Amino acid sequence: MAVQFDGGVVVGADSRTTTGSYIANRVTDKLTQIHDTIFCCRSGSAADTQALADIVQYHMQLYAVQHDEQPPVKVAASLFQELCYSNKDALMAGIIVAGVDPVYGPSVYNIPLGGSLHREEFAIGGSGSAYIYGYCDDYFKPNMNRSECVDFVKNAVSLAMLRDGSSGGVIRLAVITPDSVERIFVPGNELPKHYEG
Amino acid sequence: MDKNILKEIVGEHEGGFSFANAKRNEYLTQNGGVMPNATKTGTTIVGLIYKDGVVLGADTRATAGTIVADKNCAKIHYITPNIYCCGAGTAADTEFTTNIVSSQLALHSMNSGRQAHVSTAMTLLKQYLFRYQGHVSAALVLGGVDINGPHLYTVYPHGSTDKLPFVTMGSGSLAAMAIFESRFKPNMERDEAVELVKDAIESGIFNDLGSGSNVDVCVITKDKVDYLRNYAKPNERVPKLKSYKFARGTTAIISETVRKFNSVKDEDAMEVV
Amino acid sequence: MSTEIQNAAKSHAGRWEPYVDNGGTSLAIAGPDFCIIASDTRQSEGYSINTRYDSKVHQITDKVLFATSGYSADGKKLAENIKIQAEKYLDKNDKIIQAPSIAQMTSIIMYQKRFFPYYVFPILAGLDGEGKGCVFSYDPVGNMERVGFQVYGSASALIQPFLDNQVGLKHQENVDKNRTLSKQEAFDLAIDSFTSATERDIYTGDYLEIYTVDSTGIHKEVRTLKFD
Repeated sequence: MAVQFDGGVVVGADSRTTTGSYIANRVTDKLTQIHDTIFCCRSGSAADTQALADIVQYHMQLYAVQHDEQPPVKVAASLFQELCYSNKDALMAGIIVAGVDPVYGPSVYNIPLGGSLHREEFAIGGSGSAYIYGYCDDYFKPNMNRSECVDFVKNAVSLAMLRDGSSGGVIRLAVITPDSVERIFVPGNELPKHYEG
Repeated sequence: MDKNILKEIVGEHEGGFSFANAKRNEYLTQNGGVMPNATKTGTTIVGLIYKDGVVLGADTRATAGTIVADKNCAKIHYITPNIYCCGAGTAADTEFTTNIVSSQLALHSMNSGRQAHVSTAMTLLKQYLFRYQGHVSAALVLGGVDINGPHLYTVYPHGSTDKLPFVTMGSGSLAAMAIFESRFKPNMERDEAVELVKDAIESGIFNDLGSGSNVDVCVITKDKVDYLRNYAKPNERVPKLKSYKFARGTTAIISETVRKFNSVKDEDAMEVV
Repeated sequence: MSTEIQNAAKSHAGRWEPYVDNGGTSLAIAGPDFCIIASDTRQSEGYSINTRYDSKVHQITDKVLFATSGYSADGKKLAENIKIQAEKYLDKNDKIIQAPSIAQMTSIIMYQKRFFPYYVFPILAGLDGEGKGCVFSYDPVGNMERVGFQVYGSASALIQPFLDNQVGLKHQENVDKNRTLSKQEAFDLAIDSFTSATERDIYTGDYLEIYTVDSTGIHKEVRTLKFD
């Protein structure tokens, strides 16, 4: 998931990769850096989303060199959208693009399965997201401060991990502000406490 | 976005392969067609990072269905002098995939005058496998040491990769991972690391029917590679109790023809000037 | 109509399977006054070993053994049913049932499940009424044949041609075709069959149970095979 706050964006994800019922990787980093202050959250097929992220990463690097400026988040999102839409029958990829750029500031884009593009204040995706729509709609508020936003993401992701069998492990976060990226790691035994009855 | 604008960004070519033949084969097998069965390496392959580098391990059984096709095959493939790769899946696919990438990296090294990076090998492998959309059945454990230190990856047939301190793959991966999950610790000594890899492979050999025979180990450090072929041989064959030599004349002779050749005489020999 | 049934079968396919192949191999060789019966003890499913020691040879009487392969649970149930009938025979007639009678009875018991067969490839072996070695082999619906030797199971395709050559003396010229194997020869042949099959068949391995039946009774020996 990704959430906008007043000074940037917070992206967060669980760390579980499965092949059938087997956990192939329990400490996966599903948050991929596309450029200095642009991240994407990958869900769906690992092969498809990694290939897409690599392509977009390449084009963002090229953009920055050719234009001598930070690429807007919008451009990264559009490129993802175009690739997802034009190859939709071959791909299984749900991607959230989030970041900060000098023109539009903090922004979050959601590109679900069919390849459509939606700008949102916060976005959730992946198999676990179905369990936390209610929580997010209730607890999200615009213009949160940084720590409120981090707590919101931590809570939402850990709630999804609790209910969804395909999600779990640890929580990985990235707090993206105009001039820095802070990575946060929450181990599996230090997750926020929720009802487990 | 206009498609032509994207073409300017992404490139002119239509791109991608035709998988019409794959679809045709699928249709044929569904309607009772029989495909030639390729040799699979129902395998246990593993790798881990230790204090000074990477240790790779593999069993040596290759199967064709329920029959053991090769009792002592080598599943740890050479990529570059500092990178090796264990392969599981269809034997031909792992062999060719690693060979192709190996040759690309050899040219790349000659061109750049630099040692290959493990991440480059990983990227070439994943891009190659992704292009074939999983039809090339190669599940790999890639390990090596480069300018940035030791690296270990798994590469799946569809082209996804994971970077981890200890990994297992193949049909014996669960048995081997059970050993790693209970005994792995960071920064192990060489002997301890090799022993753990051996035990993980043996766990696959004994508990997974797709894996068997011997243990191959490959230790890669900054300036040395030790390819320990048949590091352990826990499954030596017992001698047969009887002799099965046949007495002369046991083989049936169905027909006999004797043809006489003219013997070469001295004067027939070619004259040497 | 047939497509309707086929479609129904398709929609149920993959959901539940009444049969499982648990692998393993069983073998029997008859001699003039003895019989050798051997089975490996690996019991597996797919790429996993369920147990390394599960006996596939069942004793029916003091002279007759019953070796199975295929679906382990069916094999056990079939052996149990045969044993029950053999017990009943003893109670009724005050006399131990003889091998050819058990053989015929086994065929009937199996055919009774003609349309939901025991998924078992059985070999009944021991000494007949005259004290001669005998081997009876069956298909899963009860077709019976008295043979000189038989091997069934996951390594049958590997061992059968070997026995045809060594016991049946097939494809051998200038040998005495009336020659019979000694007890020791047959015993060693059984062991060599299994150690060799273990090398190439993934479902055969772990331990080998070898029974020798002769006028002195039933003698059991257990050897280790390979565990990989």
